[in-house]
Amino acid sequence: MCRHARQRNRHHHGRSKTHIAIKAIAEHLSLLVMDLLLHLRYFRTVAEEEHFGRAAERLRMAQPSLSQRIQRLERELGVRLLDRSSRGATLTPAGRLVLTEAEHLLTAADRLTAAVARVHKGEAGTLRAAVPPRLGGAAVGALLIAFRERSPGGDLDLRELPTARQAAELTAGTLDAGIVRHPCPAPGLTFGPVLHQPLGVLLATTDPLASLPEIPTAALTGRDLVLFPRAEAPALHDETLTACARHGCTPADVLEATGPDFVHGLVLSGGAAALVPHSPPEPGTVWRPLRGNPVTWRTSAAWPQGRDGPAVRLFADTAHETLRTHAGMLTAPSTRMVFPRPASEFPL
Amino acid sequence: MTAPSSPGAVRTRITAAFTDAGITGQLHAVDIDTGASHGIDADTLVPTASVHKLCLIATLYRQAALGRLDLRQPLDIPAEGRSPGATGLAAMRDAARLSLRDLATLAVAVSDNTAADLLFDTLGLDTVNQCMADLGLTRTVARHTMRELYATLREDSGGTPAALTDPAVVARLRALDPARTNHSTPREITGLLTAAWRDDICPGEHGQEYAEELRTVLGLQAWSHRLAAGFPFDDVRVSGKTGSLPTLRHEAGVVEYPDGGRYAVAVFTRAAATTVTLPAADAAIGRAARIAVDALRA
Repeated sequence: MCRHARQRNRHHHGRSKTHIAIKAIAEHLSLLVMDLLLHLRYFRTVAEEEHFGRAAERLRMAQPSLSQRIQRLERELGVRLLDRSSRGATLTPAGRLVLTEAEHLLTAADRLTAAVARVHKGEAGTLRAAVPPRLGGAAVGALLIAFRERSPGGDLDLRELPTARQAAELTAGTLDAGIVRHPCPAPGLTFGPVLHQPLGVLLATTDPLASLPEIPTAALTGRDLVLFPRAEAPALHDETLTACARHGCTPADVLEATGPDFVHGLVLSGGAAALVPHSPPEPGTVWRPLRGNPVTWRTSAAWPQGRDGPAVRLFADTAHETLRTHAGMLTAPSTRMVFPRPASEFPL
Repeated sequence: MTAPSSPGAVRTRITAAFTDAGITGQLHAVDIDTGASHGIDADTLVPTASVHKLCLIATLYRQAALGRLDLRQPLDIPAEGRSPGATGLAAMRDAARLSLRDLATLAVAVSDNTAADLLFDTLGLDTVNQCMADLGLTRTVARHTMRELYATLREDSGGTPAALTDPAVVARLRALDPARTNHSTPREITGLLTAAWRDDICPGEHGQEYAEELRTVLGLQAWSHRLAAGFPFDDVRVSGKTGSLPTLRHEAGVVEYPDGGRYAVAVFTRAAATTVTLPAADAAIGRAARIAVDALRA
């Protein structure tokens, strides 16, 4: 690399001396920065493993070499980062401080690498976005059409991802914007206005409840309820069942189903009622709203904090509009009362 | 298919919830405004344990409303001679001075035995029992203070705490025999709570204010592992008082929904296991209560 730099310097020899000097400094600087990032990565691994041997193994390098590099980083920074002992390595107070800052630097560096990679692949103008499962075909279709109409030439790379995956990808910089369901992990994310997607029940046409235009939630007590798998979004799964309980429905059992075919099958088999947002009924089943819309999924657009460029804004606004018009989503219902309990420990 | 809210179906589901947690139980749940109710062994006498503090606090506020005492009156609480207990003044080390109503708050918030006994001593057991009788609750009787109750436990177990998990010892505890300890019935305890929520406990010119403060105090219990666990809803208010003795886990309280529905519920359980820590048994109290309340709301 050094030789390459020298060659390049020779190549530019005909230009002004100032230009050469700036270029030399810049290259030296970039070397330092690259080196710093690399050394910080080594340091982070040792900090995570609390052990030089294990860290070296993870980094697939020799332990003496790793030790030397950490020592060099400590020399450069002028502080001791780790306390070494026979049992391992623990962070010094200065080490903890450097580690926190290093995380920010390394995350930013990863973003930079990802951004450059996209430029190379010719994808820089594409908005990478995602929708959660079970948003409804009509809503997804309308969102794609509306975005295309409003952003001529702008490409939308839309994927279906569960909320937790979206949050992780938004943070990692592999996703620009998403439509998430709450509860959604919030650190580092900004949310658009919250919409409520009412849940209803999918029933067999032969079900006695199917004759009612609206189903009282309590009428589902003692029935088998079909819901998406808990592992997909544990907090939403629990919140959904708690909302049912709040309105008088304690199911006999909760059956987990991912795809619409299986949901349909369980409902057709008799007895089970599926909790799903409004969807066009398949033969043998009917969808009925729950009276008063007591069970809703809260949904909003999300993007990484401070990264709401024009394309992200357009996506968020378009999503908000299409979800209201095509997915039957409602703006916040009347504010719910909250009675804090002593066990919650904080006063309201 | 039987309607899920038919009395038989409700009893079956509640009994199943008790059985599943390894306990047997008695329950009474009543709609405070309509009087509709569900019950299981609702008229069988049961040792009340700390649930009896409800009777104590209700009596305190009734006496205050009748002008017989001042809730602000301070009591000196010396460091020595406190009734045993793991919380509140019973666990604290130094002398203190608190008003009658703040003692009531401690007795409800953390089931403070010292605070409760200071009130029992101030009012007298007879006054508490007479107050219950005046409210028509003739089968609700306090035979002893908290300190006297725990003295019977110590005597019957030979003074070794570990003996209280020995099934043979537990079987002979006087504290578990309603005839020989503080007792009531599920129906009478919900009757007391109904009276508290219908402004029937505090008569007189300022009765309303006393009644409101009484309900506030009854809403201060710090733990939520039993009755409140069955109603994990931000917009539902749960006021309750627990009671526990070896194998016994109780709670009685009021559940209020934002649509105005309010229900008094009393759940008294007895576990087969003598284990002191049984979270499943605690949670079953809330589960049973919600089955009953859901049925009343259906």
